[in-house]
Amino acid sequence: MPPDSEYSLQDLSDLAGVTPRTIRYYIAQGLLPSPGKAGPGATYADGHLNRLRLIKRLQREHLPLAEIRTRLAALDDATVAALVEAPASEPPADSAIDYIRAVLGGDASFESTALSRLAAPPASPPPAYAVDIAAPAYRLAEFGPAYTETPTPTPAPDRSQWDRILLAPDVELHVRRPLGRRQHKRVERLIQIARELLEEDQP
Amino acid sequence: MTFNVRPDRHFIRPVHRSNRFVLVEVTAPPARSERVRPPVNLAFVLDRSGSMSGEKIRLAKQAIEEGIGRLHDDDRFAIVVYDDRVDVVVHGTLATPDARRTALDRLREIDARGSTNLGEGWLRGAQEVAEALTDEGVNRCLLLTDGLANVGITDRDTLARHAGELRARGVSTTTFGVGEDFDEVLLQSMASAGGGHFYFIADAASIRDHITSEVGETLEIVARGVTLEIGAAEGIRVESLSPYPVNVGRDRTEITLGDLTSDERVEVVLRLNFPYGELGRSTGAAFTLSDRDGVVRGEAKLGWAYADNGANDHQERDRVVDRAVARIFAARARQEAVGLNRHGDYNGARHVVEATARRIRSYAGRDPELRAILGELEGELQVFAAPMMEMDRKHAYASSSYLMNSRMADGKAMKDPNRGGR
Repeated sequence: MPPDSEYSLQDLSDLAGVTPRTIRYYIAQGLLPSPGKAGPGATYADGHLNRLRLIKRLQREHLPLAEIRTRLAALDDATVAALVEAPASEPPADSAIDYIRAVLGGDASFESTALSRLAAPPASPPPAYAVDIAAPAYRLAEFGPAYTETPTPTPAPDRSQWDRILLAPDVELHVRRPLGRRQHKRVERLIQIARELLEEDQP
Repeated sequence: MTFNVRPDRHFIRPVHRSNRFVLVEVTAPPARSERVRPPVNLAFVLDRSGSMSGEKIRLAKQAIEEGIGRLHDDDRFAIVVYDDRVDVVVHGTLATPDARRTALDRLREIDARGSTNLGEGWLRGAQEVAEALTDEGVNRCLLLTDGLANVGITDRDTLARHAGELRARGVSTTTFGVGEDFDEVLLQSMASAGGGHFYFIADAASIRDHITSEVGETLEIVARGVTLEIGAAEGIRVESLSPYPVNVGRDRTEITLGDLTSDERVEVVLRLNFPYGELGRSTGAAFTLSDRDGVVRGEAKLGWAYADNGANDHQERDRVVDRAVARIFAARARQEAVGLNRHGDYNGARHVVEATARRIRSYAGRDPELRAILGELEGELQVFAAPMMEMDRKHAYASSSYLMNSRMADGKAMKDPNRGGR
């Protein structure tokens, strides 16, 4: 494929396996740059295609959209292309037992394991293009994923904690957990409705 | 064993990005009777929150008893229970007669109480398995719950990600959801990412059957870490419609089918998207099946030819592939409709089902099986377009999930029909 390919919205949708509506949503949400020219004749480039492929890959690793956006914002087209073409499966560096201990021990860097394997291994010096995702304060303050347990190493004695749940880029909900089963269901419902309301364009 | 790869059509269009579907059928070899089975390493993780009290916990305990009863001395097991607190009832141990006796005594003392720290309970079970990972056998954590994760790590995506990371490190996860209060999307995604199975148990009476059946499958695994690798010509995009973990590289796509039990039959439906091409030229893809121990091995190649619109419009279709594709899309539509229905979006649920039905109708022709798939889906339109009972949602979601994962209607492994069921 020549490096300067131009695609229509439909072509891009077919190639990336993502609906046109989703593509428009990603553009509105800042995950993808706007097309070369606006309107029905809009054209898209390989940069769009590679970004879409990377988004899909990160979603398969169950990363929240807010985290994907922040990560993509820091990458230039060449880096995105390199990441997309990198061999997908590499055996993990640590063992199952190390992994579980780190999660149970509240090691904050584990929140970003999947992402770090793709672009920013915390164990080695970060490449020039990487966002510093190892810094937990930055991560939590800027785009803490919904429902993430607060990564405090020493839990409060009464076991309750406030969770911040991102509903939209500028809107948060704070919930003190644990909640009763019934209450939890209601809050889940509230979050769902709020997200739908705030992201009406979401596919 | 068998390995078949069949395309729905052979022609593609020169100036159109054609989508073509491929059905991959795999049947695992039977377990040989003289075979010495490699040891298994299991953790049973049991929800003992208040709602589990009575029949549910009694039957779950009985099932675990039976499961442990089937193990040999060189197998390992652990038992973990959780509510808001997590207790390791039996640390990972060899299944010696003494260890089994002690385990049963401790199991009897467990009662239901409290709220649910599902995440930590599951991770502690996985930890017991990981402490003594067996290289040649199966390492699996079995999680049974009737509720939501509402203490500790509660986010679905986070838990599914951990399950995927653990699968990559050798520990798989199977989940059992009992009754109508559990989160099926959470349990399904943990099992999918975790390389195990998801089971919906509608009534407590069948808890035993499901757990013992899963333990039995684990004991009969004949091929571990089975993967399907697809190397396609440049520009062809490969996507799996079946919900197996997928890794996409530059020129190859790797689909993880996981562990296969004796005579198990698995179907994978793929969608290939082709680039523009010159009329008369051919293109193709190679399919390779393999596993960790070299038990299953298969290779196949398929070719497609760029042809004019007339040839494309009148080409023969492989109806077996069409049916598999239609079933998967219908199952996906049902799951989406269940989610929309739960949130009160009845119109949305109707649209999703209608759109899928329209698409199936466009290629169903007079094929009786395709007409039946279509008829069934259309018959359910009214169900999804009005408030549903939660139990009906659970049934609809789970049966779709079973279908997409090549499981039978009760969630158990599909077996080779030519082997007369065992």
